[in-house]
Amino acid sequence: MVIPAFIWLIWLPLLGAPLVYLVGRLLSGWLARWTALLLLLAAWLPFAATWQAFARHETVAYSLGQVTLQVDGVSLLITAVILTLTPLIVLYSAHTLDGADGSEKYNAMLLAMGGSMIGLSCATDLFNLWLWFEATAVTSYLLVVFYHQQPASLEAGVKYLVQSVVGSVLVLFGVALVLAQSGTLSLTALRQQATPSPLLLAACALFAVGFGVKIALVPLHTWLPDAHAQAPSGISALLSGIVIETGLVALLRAMAALTAVTHTWGLLLLMLGAVNMLVGNLLALPQTQVKRLLAFSSISHIGYMLTGLGIAVTSGEVLGAQGGFFHLLTHGLMKGLAFLAAGALLYGLHTAVNDHTPLTIAELSGSGWRYPLVAVALTLALLGLGGIPPLAGFMSKWQILLAGMGSQQPVLMGFVAFAALNSVLSLAYYAPMVQMVFRREMSAVVQNGRSLPLTMNLPILLLALAIVTIGLWPGLVTRLTQGAGTALLSVIGNQ
Amino acid sequence: MTQTTVLLLGAVGVLGVGLYGLLRLRNLIQIIVALQILAKAAVLALVVAGKASGHVNLGQSLAVTVIVADTVIAVVGLALAVQVRRRLGTLDVKALATLRG
Repeated sequence: MVIPAFIWLIWLPLLGAPLVYLVGRLLSGWLARWTALLLLLAAWLPFAATWQAFARHETVAYSLGQVTLQVDGVSLLITAVILTLTPLIVLYSAHTLDGADGSEKYNAMLLAMGGSMIGLSCATDLFNLWLWFEATAVTSYLLVVFYHQQPASLEAGVKYLVQSVVGSVLVLFGVALVLAQSGTLSLTALRQQATPSPLLLAACALFAVGFGVKIALVPLHTWLPDAHAQAPSGISALLSGIVIETGLVALLRAMAALTAVTHTWGLLLLMLGAVNMLVGNLLALPQTQVKRLLAFSSISHIGYMLTGLGIAVTSGEVLGAQGGFFHLLTHGLMKGLAFLAAGALLYGLHTAVNDHTPLTIAELSGSGWRYPLVAVALTLALLGLGGIPPLAGFMSKWQILLAGMGSQQPVLMGFVAFAALNSVLSLAYYAPMVQMVFRREMSAVVQNGRSLPLTMNLPILLLALAIVTIGLWPGLVTRLTQGAGTALLSVIGNQ
Repeated sequence: MTQTTVLLLGAVGVLGVGLYGLLRLRNLIQIIVALQILAKAAVLALVVAGKASGHVNLGQSLAVTVIVADTVIAVVGLALAVQVRRRLGTLDVKALATLRG
């Protein structure tokens, strides 16, 4: 059997990870960084091949024994976000890693995390879904505690590990219940065979709680602000931008296979989404640290995605799924950019002068005049997250809104109206940050700030351009989001 | 009650022991042991599920895979514990409660 191109999407980063580690350990950190970057850029080739095969409506799948990996619209979307963010982060982290303790492990772990997330998006049975997720989680624990000299990082890492492991054990218990009841774990087979039963209902609940920990559903979100704020900035960008979103995809896949068991899970998604939006926004409001605020805002953005996807599941409206996945994409880019820009400021203002305390919003005062590029990029990211037209974030929220209104169902219209109100509420903490950046008087740390290297500015510039471009021409990514939306609806079958 | 139900209830019991341990214990090493007990409950459930559904091989191979995966978790957890002990001088998780809000 010929190995299809998409397997290289998984193999390149996964096999590349030990290689990059060895190169970094034995030769030089510089060479390891370029190897990692080249491997990630090379992964665009199999992506293009897979994209073409997919566009020709071929089944892109590979089986090894009983395990099958298959590419669908959702995997393509996730892979595209991973392959966009990861190389930029390798580049971005280059300067901060120089001479850091254990820097050879950083890029290797980054590759392994990317590869296992792509694997997750292609999994076609429940156990593989769990296994790839665990692989992602293990690499992310290690990356969160990269600065293991700092007690706060260790604390964040311990909280993340303990809560996440409990979540994955619950998922695994759910998998066992499904196996006991139906004798199969294949998502396709389950879709056809599953019938309502107490055991399968319990499995659904376990999946919701288990994956709920991973995607920070309120009230299982307490690890997220710690882990995302304490991780190195590049890792924060990845964790918020894509790791929690792959958890969402895993939840969707598991629940979609068991749709026959509970028809109301769409409504559950909508309600959880509403709670996430509100609580995320309210908790973000009083924050004084930049990265912590961004971490809380991720909780509310998961809520918007859940709203879009919930609309699709409840009403069979493809526009809802498309909007949800579009928001997944734009949030990945915007939150990625926000964390990178905030991280660059943190580096220039604190780390470069050997201050390892977190960056507060008050310290940003006047930084726009000292770091114009980073400040403009941060502004674009924050306003995009707040849903200001014509930026990318507005377009994806707008699509979710249209889907809800288009469904003509009062309940769904209520939920999207709530989402829109929350979007306005979120400006209450994005806008003051923007205002602080462009204040006339510079804070003491800004006056002492160091200049930023090109390797940090370049990824920030590229991501900022991407956000503006997608905002002005959302049609550019329509085929990606449409493919993902159709893939989701085809598995839940329009009830 | 069938044999499967009894065994599955047993797995739920082990899960309960693990969760109780997580809530009760304060020492990081003990917490990692509690996490291991949790994982073992899932392993037991998988083996039972394999037997109940007539896929004994499948259930057992999944169980072996899970044992490998959760050993990795234990290694990472213990590595964290070593660092915590080195930096904070204690394994008490009360020392790890400074991040708030």
